[in-house]
Amino acid sequence: MLSDLMYRLRVLLRRRTAEQELKDELEFHLEHQAHKYVAAGLTHADAARRARLDFGGVDQVADACRDARGIGLIDTTLQDIRYGLRGMRRRPTLALMAIVTIALGTAAIGAEASLADTLLWRHWRADDADSLVSIGAIRGGSRTDGAVSYPDYVAFRDRATTVSALAAHYSTAPLFVAVNGTAREVNGAVVSANYFPLFEMHPALGRFFGPEEDRVPDRDHVVVVGYDFWQSWLGAAPSAPGSALTINGVAFTIIGVAPRHPVGLTPLPVDLYIPTMMLRVGYRWCRDSLAGDCTTLGMVGRLVPGRTVADAQAEFAAIVPPAWRSAPPGENRGVAVRRPRGMSDDDQESRLVAVLGGVAVVLLLVCCANLGGLLSAQSAARENEFAIRVSLGAGPGRIVRQVVTESLMLALAGGAGGLVLSRFFVAALARMFFSMDDEGHPLFYDFSPSSTIVLATIAAAALAGILFSVLPAIRAVRRPRTAHTARRTVSARWSTGRALLGAQAAAAVALVATSALLGSSARLVLTGRNYDTAHVALMRVRPRLVKYTPERAQRFQREALQRLRAVPSVESVSMVGVGAVLGGGSTTATLPGSSAARLTVKYNEVGPAYFATLRTPMVAGREFDDHDTRDSTAVAVVNQALANRLWPDGRAIGSTIVIGNTPRQIVGIVADLAMTARTQPADLWAYTPFWQNPGQIDSRIAVRTAGDPESWLPELARAVHQVDPDVPIAETITLPMRMAGLTRPIRVGAVFIGYAACLAMLLTAIGLYGALAFAVSRRTKEIGIRLALGAARAGLIASIVREGVTVVLAGASVGIVLAVAGSRVMSHLLYGSPSDDWKFYAAAASVVVAIGALAALLPARRAAAVEPSIALRQE
Amino acid sequence: MELPQGTLDLLILKAIALERQHGWGISERIQQISNDTLKVNQGSLYPALHRLERRGWIRAAWDVSDNNRRAKYYQLTTKGRRQLEERVDAWRSLTAAVNLLLDQG
Repeated sequence: MLSDLMYRLRVLLRRRTAEQELKDELEFHLEHQAHKYVAAGLTHADAARRARLDFGGVDQVADACRDARGIGLIDTTLQDIRYGLRGMRRRPTLALMAIVTIALGTAAIGAEASLADTLLWRHWRADDADSLVSIGAIRGGSRTDGAVSYPDYVAFRDRATTVSALAAHYSTAPLFVAVNGTAREVNGAVVSANYFPLFEMHPALGRFFGPEEDRVPDRDHVVVVGYDFWQSWLGAAPSAPGSALTINGVAFTIIGVAPRHPVGLTPLPVDLYIPTMMLRVGYRWCRDSLAGDCTTLGMVGRLVPGRTVADAQAEFAAIVPPAWRSAPPGENRGVAVRRPRGMSDDDQESRLVAVLGGVAVVLLLVCCANLGGLLSAQSAARENEFAIRVSLGAGPGRIVRQVVTESLMLALAGGAGGLVLSRFFVAALARMFFSMDDEGHPLFYDFSPSSTIVLATIAAAALAGILFSVLPAIRAVRRPRTAHTARRTVSARWSTGRALLGAQAAAAVALVATSALLGSSARLVLTGRNYDTAHVALMRVRPRLVKYTPERAQRFQREALQRLRAVPSVESVSMVGVGAVLGGGSTTATLPGSSAARLTVKYNEVGPAYFATLRTPMVAGREFDDHDTRDSTAVAVVNQALANRLWPDGRAIGSTIVIGNTPRQIVGIVADLAMTARTQPADLWAYTPFWQNPGQIDSRIAVRTAGDPESWLPELARAVHQVDPDVPIAETITLPMRMAGLTRPIRVGAVFIGYAACLAMLLTAIGLYGALAFAVSRRTKEIGIRLALGAARAGLIASIVREGVTVVLAGASVGIVLAVAGSRVMSHLLYGSPSDDWKFYAAAASVVVAIGALAALLPARRAAAVEPSIALRQE
Repeated sequence: MELPQGTLDLLILKAIALERQHGWGISERIQQISNDTLKVNQGSLYPALHRLERRGWIRAAWDVSDNNRRAKYYQLTTKGRRQLEERVDAWRSLTAAVNLLLDQG
């Protein structure tokens, strides 16, 4: 094995010598053989000829020797490459087209790989990221998975032996920070002192907090600020460590600045880090945030060398924190240890990535079909060249290798272009969709390229190169044998070409239809059906962060609403108490006395005029008004779906419904919102008055304005600030911006597939044009004869256009079937009724057929312009 | 007579078992010894030689030939000699078995 390798290496390194030696050796043989014949009495010329006859083809023998030595492949490849480069210079347009096509095709693969890498595959950007694990609780009942309480964390940390340096973090803490006269809500992280060493982070300035500063509750008011925060809020002052700032109304001292690129555990960049012992300031939604019932911390750690995730899983499953023993049975079901991968924990997003992967592959196949057809037609022009090479002794394998090498060169050049192009695509996608979340918070997704992406793109290009060379290669080998009948094989060639073109048209129609379906779904959610997002501004007020009592908070809310109503151009104002505007939480609803039929419903506490503000029509009854207070009857509004479910006879108004544990009288039925994907049943909604919940502190306010809501946002925030400058206001965005964030997967899909659709249409048109132009040029003589015999030019044009359109029509009908299948696959991303889908299919098919007809018209007109006298003189 | 498949390697190894030889010499030797019964396709001789050299069974060296020309001489390596012995044994037992079968019939 080793000697074999050494031999090959030696031969390779001294190839020139080896070639010379091979030549010498074979010549020596021929001379000796000829010499022998001369000795037997032949003339020198005859002897030399006999010797050569005995020997067989010298070139073939030399080739076989090279093969035997194992360097033939490299040699011939180099030869093929030189040959291919010459060919490209001769046919620059074709080469350029192939390269651009593959570049556009592989760019989609590269962009998709980058999305998949960042969202689903990538490790955290830390040293030795492979040994990092994240650990979360598995919960039953209504509690959410993942986070644990501080005492739980301590129990795990102190008992774990498979994981070293178990750190706790709450990385999405809304912190209301005031410094240098500015006050704003930022995203912060509450982390244990061992968090920074775990990721081997080093402060850009100052220091991180140590274990002693994270030992006693509420004692050490220290904060590490993020690099960007230091730059923008503190003017990058070197004196920043030691200065003070206020977080949620509590004074803190800055001790350090985090590195410019810290390890990010979520897409939300962290502006402030405070110790877990300050959790009571950082998390205001528990009575005591450090108590065993307040679950808000995630856990990350590093596997001890030699231990596996399974080891850690086994160990952590056996640890039961004290608080879990007293919890209701079934609430804590165990612990999940996993290697963190990617930035998305959203199921919808991972399915989107899978769908886009399929689309990218289909697009690349379309590119291959296109180039396969184009190059095989072009290689007809090379039939003489191939015939000559065959007659010179090249075997069919050699010709195939030549064609494949040429294709691979084009494909790899295209792949390199695609790689560059994909970076632009990813940057555009990142800017459009991944820079802000649905609440207006800036996001950071690390889309920097990785070796995975580069490899995936280049591999895709190489595969495409091999794929689109299959047809031209077969042609090249077959043609020389039928060279003399080549003229008659035009129709046969066109038939494979037809199938390829039909396939391209089918893909184009399917892609156009799906992207249109997605686009219309996104538009439906964005603009709304049974609600109107235009002209609605949003803001979130959180008196809880600065520890307001419910009484004080509600007094503030009332005044804020009044102030807002007084702002010019404001038409109406309302608010929600749970979750987001147009969103909410969930609760149970049931009929009084029937404990059996407990429905889980969506739920929100809304202010007066909420539905008027959103323009959601009331089907019956009324919505809440200022008379629905704590002192009046407990009331509720349900949506049509819930009303129909509980009162099929239609007598919901005036009936009693138990929401949570409170019986309420239904005063209104509101129309259903079209906010559920097709795969889900219509949401059941129950609404109660904001002002009937005495414990309510925070709210999200919705303001309908006359003009552009975005331009009014500062004015609206000012109005609220005038009531109380200490109350944090955040998430001041417009409702369309929020809906855009919510529909991100749909819109990413629509844009990505829209790109694929445009490219597929363009390729279909080019392919059709190329094929027909080629057929016309081959049939110039026939056309000339027909014209000479009196065929009408108009008829000729029609017949050629018909030829093209037939292919596209056949493809389009297949494409519609594909689109229907595709819409099934993506139904979780589709909104609105499927009964309108046929319009999109019809429109997509019409567009592609129209483009096909246009592409066919050009060669048809050229055919009609043929001059019989010139055409007949050809050949 | 055409060579049965796979026997060319054996013949080459045998042809240079006694002394080193160049390609033409090997083909002449095979023909002479077999009284012109076996006809080696001269063209296929050289790829076989290169293949054997790559396997490390024979070694090549350039030297001056009898008629004062530079020629490439092949000789057996230790590995090649072992191969030759093994293959001769295998061939003998094969032909013996085949003969036995033919004689019985």
